[in-house]
Amino acid sequence: MKTFLCLALLASLALLLHARPATAQLDPFEFEVYPAKTLDRGMLEVESLNSVVANGHRNGEEGTSKGTLPSQSMWRTAFEATYGLTDRIEATAYLNLAKPRGNNLQYAGSKFRLRGSLFDQGQLPLDLGWYIELEYNRVPKFDDQKLELELRPIIQRDFGDFSLMLNPIFEKILVGSEAKEGFEFGYAHGIYYRWMRALTPGIEFYGGIGMIKHPDPSKEQQHYIFPVVRGESHGIEYSVGPGFGLTRGSDRVIVKFNLGLEKIIGALFGPSSDWLY
Amino acid sequence: MKYLIVVLSLTLLATVARAAGAPADDAIELRFENRRFTPQTITVRANRPFKIKIVNASKEAIEFESFKINREKVVGPGETVTINVPALKAGSYDFYDDFHRDVPEGTIVAK
Repeated sequence: MKTFLCLALLASLALLLHARPATAQLDPFEFEVYPAKTLDRGMLEVESLNSVVANGHRNGEEGTSKGTLPSQSMWRTAFEATYGLTDRIEATAYLNLAKPRGNNLQYAGSKFRLRGSLFDQGQLPLDLGWYIELEYNRVPKFDDQKLELELRPIIQRDFGDFSLMLNPIFEKILVGSEAKEGFEFGYAHGIYYRWMRALTPGIEFYGGIGMIKHPDPSKEQQHYIFPVVRGESHGIEYSVGPGFGLTRGSDRVIVKFNLGLEKIIGALFGPSSDWLY
Repeated sequence: MKYLIVVLSLTLLATVARAAGAPADDAIELRFENRRFTPQTITVRANRPFKIKIVNASKEAIEFESFKINREKVVGPGETVTINVPALKAGSYDFYDDFHRDVPEGTIVAK
């Protein structure tokens, strides 16, 4: 078990240190680490994922900017609606909005995603999941690649009161100027201490190295560390914290604050199978 | 691409190894009826994984939840769901119906 986790971490580290020019992968609309467990069948979750770049870059295509607008003071909001199709598969639609400095809140793109868990929680030494997402960008000033595919294996392990979640990210541009390029690699990892239901401290790590075959130079890559607190109170889930850029290519400070609300609205399908769905 | 293949292969290997870490097959039954869990206290052996079979005999959906053992599961009316619980250190762990917070909480005692 420990060997597997070490291998996954070492593989991430090895890719970070390997350096050649290309673009880095990071979704600035979604600072969220996913657990292996999905939303239960018949549940609806509505979330608002928010972030603001408190100290960023003043030119486009630097830091978290993927278009012509600079990242400095960029406010991003994604509205996310997730429905539990079965006990192990959920479907999600996102609406991405952004407010550049001195401008109004504007439509920036849409995403559609399926996420699933393999087996039940605790059935294996590791809890495993999968994630497949299509990102559709219609506004080049925010992201000049029109259609992107994102794949994530999800790996989770609880150690007593601690939970470790690993989301390695593989992204491929399907339509856009870089469609002929291969997969990019990024990550969203987190470790949390389940202290109280209303207050769970943790540390999250987000970043991207660019193309797997030709990673960006280390200084141009983006890597962030977010000390966070999250929890649930009065039916509202939250996750907030400042993120600090660790490289020259990163924005220096980003603040994230995510809110979510879950409610059962009724199941479309019957009970799930033992492991597949 | 090689990295992707390695990660996917390791993921597959871990799934194949499922038997290695699977908890024992005998499940403890926990029944929800008349807005209460029965039994209210579940006593288990410490440091040994176990399963709980949650039977929702009521006409409403419930959400079995225990923050400390990191488990939450929606159980529809008339449905039965079994959850895996990891080995617990000796102590008390509360559980509740997250959809109906007025329902009395129950306790898992590991000793």
